[in-house]
Amino acid sequence: MTAEPATPGYYRYPVIRRPVWTWEVPAYFWLGGMAGGAFLTASLGQRLGSPDDRRYTADGFYLAGAAILPCAPLLIADLGRPERFHHMLRVFKPLSPMNLGAWTLTAFAPLAVGRAATQAAHTGLLRGPLAALARLLPTSVVELTGTLSGMVLAGYTGVLLAATNVPLWAKSKLLGGVFMASAMSSGSAAVALVAARRGAPDATLHRLARIESAASLGEVAMLTGYLGQSGRTAHPLTRGRFAMPFWVGAVGAGMLLPLLLHRFAGRHRGGTLRSLSGAAAVCSLAGSLALRWSIFEAGKVSSEDQAASFELSSD
Amino acid sequence: MIDSYKRLMNLQDPPPAKVAKGFFTDTSLCIGCKACEVACKQWNQLPADGFALTATSYDNTGALGATTWRHVQFIEQAKTNGDGRRDQRWLMMSDVCKHCANAACLEACPTGALVRTEYGTVYVQQDICNGCGFCVPACPFGVIDRTPKEGEFQAGTAHKCTLCYDRLKDDMTPACAKSCPTASIQFGDVAELRERARRRLGELQARGESTARLYGMPEGKEAEEVGPLHAFFLLLDEPQKYNLPEIPRLPRKTLGERYAWSAAVGAGFALVAALVFGSRR
Ligand code: SF4
Ligand code: SF4
Repeated sequence: MTAEPATPGYYRYPVIRRPVWTWEVPAYFWLGGMAGGAFLTASLGQRLGSPDDRRYTADGFYLAGAAILPCAPLLIADLGRPERFHHMLRVFKPLSPMNLGAWTLTAFAPLAVGRAATQAAHTGLLRGPLAALARLLPTSVVELTGTLSGMVLAGYTGVLLAATNVPLWAKSKLLGGVFMASAMSSGSAAVALVAARRGAPDATLHRLARIESAASLGEVAMLTGYLGQSGRTAHPLTRGRFAMPFWVGAVGAGMLLPLLLHRFAGRHRGGTLRSLSGAAAVCSLAGSLALRWSIFEAGKVSSEDQAASFELSSD
Repeated sequence: MIDSYKRLMNLQDPPPAKVAKGFFTDTSLCIGCKACEVACKQWNQLPADGFALTATSYDNTGALGATTWRHVQFIEQAKTNGDGRRDQRWLMMSDVCKHCANAACLEACPTGALVRTEYGTVYVQQDICNGCGFCVPACPFGVIDRTPKEGEFQAGTAHKCTLCYDRLKDDMTPACAKSCPTASIQFGDVAELRERARRRLGELQARGESTARLYGMPEGKEAEEVGPLHAFFLLLDEPQKYNLPEIPRLPRKTLGERYAWSAAVGAGFALVAALVFGSRR
């Protein structure tokens, strides 16, 4: 009557439940990572860069401040009971990546916005009593604590996904590294984009390009390791519905194209350099979003992969 | 100040611990009547899941979920008898939340909604859960789930078996165990149930059920990461046949090296960026 079961399990029913999260989550991962990366790039530019570097990377503080603003609303919108968002801060439980993330966002958001306000006060964009208040902030302390919390914010997201039993997210040790590299690449790209648009001098753009390329190379290395460790568990990402956004968007546009453009731009100056830098940065930013989104969505498919779940829980 | 914070965040001291309670589900006795599924729905006032046929077996429930806290599996197996005759057998198993000693859902929960009760069970406090959904993919057994945000029933929060916490408070047996006509679901003190399970396994093995085994005992390899299960099972075949993972994973155990890789990448990038900015002259 019935044939021998074709799977080692109970029909092909999934072993775990499908994640309930929606698009707000990858959007937040992208923005939060970019904010952290931009803040770090801007802070290092302030402390170590030339006067030109300092001037043009300072816009990174505005970027970080602007990118962090939608983060909390996005996260709250994804909750099943948004009116209870403050329960996230009910306990301090850093072993839960979600709890750690909530505290980190709470720490980083005011620092990023505060540092942006100081910048605006210095350049005269912000006037009056608010500017006087912003000038009171100790910039070096804000930059140091902001950089540290921003990097946690940029890096915990991949670890959060990995701290589940979804095979695509959990099998490799490197998803946290992939997301961190992507955050650094999108953050520095955002700074470079604004610098190029505002007509930064060649030397500054060349330096920013080198920094971005380092992040892209890190992304390529981490992603290669991630795919290698995942093996066939990565099929929902590398084949099928998410293959296009992943290979073309995340890998092609987000990593390889910016690397090529920057190599090419190395021989150019002035207007051409600025256009190339801008184009590379836009690609990198879009690719970073494609990376988060495709890994996130493919994870839902992976959660239904019985064989991958068994493989994950047998070694 | 501290008191008003505690009131705002609904923080209370836990009640003193009692003897650990749990389920021993002996699948060798299950006849697939689904009385447990119905009794659970009724006592806990869980809505029906709608009329759907899986078209694979008499199991039309399919899986555990936010409003399905007991699920009877119907595993059809073809096997060859001693005399070479092909035969069929049915393995039936009433699945449930395992109330893990190291519960992945509880460790993931950022709000503290998921707690260990005085009976050693794992419980979602409905007034605390904000529906973040992290416990859902964290559970290695696919148990806990979030109700839809637009749903009628307790919308947007996580749900699973409570081991009838409300009944335990009144010294009553959980509804499923009470309704089980074959004593396939047995409720009691975990320590006592484990003894009973070992005896039962010995009986079955003596009768020639050579593939029978216990799943979720402290000595089992399935307890390596998630610890012993407070709701454990006697199975007649390999765990995977029942969609149970061989070694259920506890995500917390992997956090260290994953954070380390993430931090290394961040630090490496910061170093390169510092060198590039610093190399300007
Ligand atoms: S079986 Fe899943 S839902 Fe139940 S206690 Fe264990 S981890 Fe939590
Ligand atoms: S959905 Fe509720 S119970 Fe589950 S982890 Fe989030 S707050 Fe905790």
